[in-house]
Amino acid sequence: MTTVIERPLPLSTPPAALQALLTSDALSLCFQCRKCTSGCPVAAEADVKPHEVVRLVQLGATDELLASRFIWECTSCGTCEARCPQAVALPAAIDALRRLSRERKVAADPAVPAFNDIFLATVRQLGRAHELALMAAFKLRTRRFSQDFAKFPTMLRKGKFALLPKLSGDRAKRQRIFRRAREQRKAP
Amino acid sequence: MSYVFYPGCSLESTAKDYALSTKAVVAALGIDMPELAGWTCCGSTAAHQTDALLALALPAVNLAAASGNTVAVACAACYSRLKLANHEIAGDAESRRLVADALGADYDGSTPVKHLLEILRDDVGFAGLSEKVTKPLAGLRVAAYYGCLLVRPPAIMRFDDAENPTVLDKLMAAAGAETVDWPAKTDCCGASFSITKTEIVLRLSRGILAAAREAGADCIVTACPLCQLNLDMRQSDIEKKHGETFRLPVFYFTQLLGLALGLPASQLGLRGLLVDPLPLLTRKGILQPEKAVAR
Repeated sequence: MTTVIERPLPLSTPPAALQALLTSDALSLCFQCRKCTSGCPVAAEADVKPHEVVRLVQLGATDELLASRFIWECTSCGTCEARCPQAVALPAAIDALRRLSRERKVAADPAVPAFNDIFLATVRQLGRAHELALMAAFKLRTRRFSQDFAKFPTMLRKGKFALLPKLSGDRAKRQRIFRRAREQRKAP
Repeated sequence: MSYVFYPGCSLESTAKDYALSTKAVVAALGIDMPELAGWTCCGSTAAHQTDALLALALPAVNLAAASGNTVAVACAACYSRLKLANHEIAGDAESRRLVADALGADYDGSTPVKHLLEILRDDVGFAGLSEKVTKPLAGLRVAAYYGCLLVRPPAIMRFDDAENPTVLDKLMAAAGAETVDWPAKTDCCGASFSITKTEIVLRLSRGILAAAREAGADCIVTACPLCQLNLDMRQSDIEKKHGETFRLPVFYFTQLLGLALGLPASQLGLRGLLVDPLPLLTRKGILQPEKAVAR
């Protein structure tokens, strides 16, 4: 059991083992004290509360979790894990749920996954994030043209947006990393 | 200890003021911190939410390139991703193998990572720092805001007390400011949801701004580009939505420290802040009115 506390949920667990991870001993230490939910900044509005996430995983009810709004509303602030008397690594479990939810194409929220994909595609191409390109692509994808439009002139005037992207790093190595990641995701 | 500086993507755009003021302060303190050549993005929130291997390999490329130097980080989010990657790679053989396969070279997770606040605390020291202060920020009441990523998860970050961190408070005290005792130090601002789920950011950031005002703070000081952007840029949206006016300037700690060290305001990127800090700084006698006009 102590090994479980020290290494609750390896971040690197390959996708094939995601299902096993979610039903592993790592979350079984929870005794439903609800300290996680008490301290969670978004629990008040959540369809599934943090302590319920753990319970549903214990019960194997992952379908409900994968389609929940909460896994996309969690800010990854880590307050739950920091205060958990059993050191349950809930943020890592929620990351695993997010990945699995996308793999199964049941993500309840389109905006956050779209933003993440655009962000990573930019990094793959350029080496660094480029906020102006990211914003433009995100708006095109989600059709949120009016949101924050009024802020653009101010942000530009204050020099808060780099106009041109900078290319950086070893592109071939980066392509290899993204290719390997894709292969790992597809691995049986 | 020799450092290489990892600025992170935000410091090239929305947090340009953080980059400018960091450069000025580091130079004034004589800390040698050349930029890590050819650095690339740590993967940020997008990587760890999307893919487990990207979340490790993207930071690892940079950590491996540091070739034995300590990586100095300004952004709390990069700091978090770099340290979490190190922890995972050093502690889990399978993770290390997967990362080595992706990078085409083995990396053992041993490159030290330090936030600028830790460097100021450990290398310069707050006593040494206060000796270098020529223009103490007397009368300025500051709410020191840490946010999430510097302190959590505490077992891996080992940065400061996770519920009541004090390093930024002590730094501000060394700069001659007074810090308030307040309960929202490590509350979440909504972080990377600024664009995707703005309503969450408005609600959470409003709570932080209200707590700072309630505690009698004149301004907030941060060490994270995401926190600064949400609390500063989103303040007008919060005012519009909730009919509540704050007008609380939100500084990077390097900007306030720079002023205390007597650096010219023009080197500290103060104009980049959306809630104009100049009325507050002139009222407190920290900046001269004519300088404010001449900006």
